[in-house]
Amino acid sequence: MSDNYKFDTLSLHAGHSPDKETGSRAVPIYQTTSYVFKDTEEAAALYNMEIGGHLYSRISNPTVAALEQRLAALEGGVSAIACSSGMAAMHLVVTALCSSGDHIVASSKMYGANINLLQHTMPRFGVTTEFVNPNDPDAIEKAIKPNTKMVFGEVIGNPGLDIMDVPTIAKICKKKGIPLVLDATFNTPFLMQPFNHGANIIIHSLTKWLGGHGIAIGGAIVNGGNFDWGDKEKFPTISGDHFALGGISFWEEFGPAALTMKIRAEGMYNFGPSLSPTNAFYLMQGIETLPLRMKKHMENTHKLLSFLQDHDLVEWVKHPDLETHPDHLVAKKILPKGSGSVIVFGIKGGRKAGQTFIESVQLASHLANVGDAKTLLIHPGSTTHSHLSAKAMKLSGLTEDMIRLSVGLEDIDDIKKDFEKGFRAVSKLMK
Amino acid sequence: MFINFKGAKTYINTGGKNIDVDKTTLCFIHGSGQNHLSFVQQSRYFANKEYSVIVPDLPGHGFSEGVPCVSIKENAEWIYDLVKELKLNDIVYLGHSQGCLTGLELNKNYPKLLKGIIFIAGSNTIPVNQFLIDLASNDFHKAYRMMVTWGHGKDGAMFTGNIPGHSHFGEGFNIMNMNNEKTLKIDLEACNKYDGGTDAAQKIKIPTLAVLAKFDQMTPLKSGKKFIDLLDNCELKILDCGHFLQAERPKELNTFISSYLRKLN
Repeated sequence: MSDNYKFDTLSLHAGHSPDKETGSRAVPIYQTTSYVFKDTEEAAALYNMEIGGHLYSRISNPTVAALEQRLAALEGGVSAIACSSGMAAMHLVVTALCSSGDHIVASSKMYGANINLLQHTMPRFGVTTEFVNPNDPDAIEKAIKPNTKMVFGEVIGNPGLDIMDVPTIAKICKKKGIPLVLDATFNTPFLMQPFNHGANIIIHSLTKWLGGHGIAIGGAIVNGGNFDWGDKEKFPTISGDHFALGGISFWEEFGPAALTMKIRAEGMYNFGPSLSPTNAFYLMQGIETLPLRMKKHMENTHKLLSFLQDHDLVEWVKHPDLETHPDHLVAKKILPKGSGSVIVFGIKGGRKAGQTFIESVQLASHLANVGDAKTLLIHPGSTTHSHLSAKAMKLSGLTEDMIRLSVGLEDIDDIKKDFEKGFRAVSKLMK
Repeated sequence: MFINFKGAKTYINTGGKNIDVDKTTLCFIHGSGQNHLSFVQQSRYFANKEYSVIVPDLPGHGFSEGVPCVSIKENAEWIYDLVKELKLNDIVYLGHSQGCLTGLELNKNYPKLLKGIIFIAGSNTIPVNQFLIDLASNDFHKAYRMMVTWGHGKDGAMFTGNIPGHSHFGEGFNIMNMNNEKTLKIDLEACNKYDGGTDAAQKIKIPTLAVLAKFDQMTPLKSGKKFIDLLDNCELKILDCGHFLQAERPKELNTFISSYLRKLN
């Protein structure tokens, strides 16, 4: 009988067993482009996806596959594909599901690159998107049209920290026969597994908490295997005859794994956003400690929330675990272990105060990333959104005084001391 | 392909190729609560060689509509009628688990129909615990999970295997979840009730191949070996995996099948 290992064990072991020849305990880095075929018959079978295996590292690689299998295990999916970045993952899903003339319903409160791809790039290829409030299930339902091929959102929105009511939206999607695709980067499978709430496809930026150390860019798509692709008119490139592999139907040949096999045969083969085996190794090293890190991330986050809420120079603090957050009840229901380790807060004194705070802290790093083991900060008003007026920022759901904080794993006393330095500088500025 | 058969929409996977009655047809029959996707790494592999392949979804399984057959005999009759409908005459039968019982019954009732039989994780009897039968009725999702966990060897638990990025547990559960929700209970009861396997095994006159699994908890190796002892001309192969050896050891299994087919022809 197979053991049904638990999350912490899977984080360490899933996707790899020591190989019989070398006994290597760690996952080996297969730094190779290609694989020697036993004979022409095997080569043909691999090219034609008649049997599993590796033929060229643009399409698959044993080290990358170990990472993919670990992700499938942690999310409870059927299969996963790792790729060069979270945005590559997003692009692979959009191009797998949509063709010219198709439509997407997406959250209006998302990471800027996700919005850019759907708002500006995809329309050039005939795929349009209607952006709706992710907290308004009725608006999502109303926005679904006969040519809608996916509903997309972020479980925890970046940077606004809006929480999608995944079970409610999943029910709408199921009723309408549309897959629910979620970016689950901010929650990771440790805090919440979206397939258990009815989602169908998960996208990750592995660069963030899953990798967790700010050393490698990577992305992944995890396929829940729980969506019926049988409607040939709606999903002709999955359930109808496909040009790849001699005109097969991916749905008939691969069933629950159809989407992954299609993305591998078409997306990875034609676009080539492959993940390097060395980066896959780094990302797996990170995943090994994901449960430990996420517990500490959440512990530090909750302590910093109290610290910031009590501070005289903090105008406001936003986090879904606070009762004041508009999505607090949804967060409590679907993210019982915590709603992630990003906090946004406003400093008294506006744009200049925010800038001064950022420039005065020493331990926290000022950069454009989240999910590192180290504490990270950014002040959108003086960096990413410095070109926007106060009014334009408000329209984007941002404010001039807003600081985005990704809480790290340092000793909480040291983080607080560091922040006090920043606040002292702001205090001097205000005098 | 989909056909209307016995008044129900019926799916038959042909490995992405058309059926060619001039070739030897490999007829793959799935086990309890499974469907054609049990043979993902066999169907297209052999269809792209010199064989014609059919992998039907039995009634109520996978993409096939209709009411599941309630007995092994009824399953065997359904398959006999199907191969006649498709006008197949040069047939090698490959059954997995419950599909082995169906193969025994089919050969007993129509001894001239099959040229060869391959038993995959098979036995002449498959008794099923009443707890699992009840669970298949009361909480079929839990029953699926239990069978998928029991059914796989170490590769299942470790999430390793030859298809990159693939989870045996995830795939196994979702394959079962494609079926009519009453199907598993009906299949398990059909296995449990079937007592004609010993007689049917002793009547086999054609050469057979049996591929068993060392860590099979569904049809244990010990039971499989007793079954092989009943067969006159059976080649036995044993793989180091669990019950779902088509998925766990596809390359080795396909090599055994190929070798057997070459000898048969």
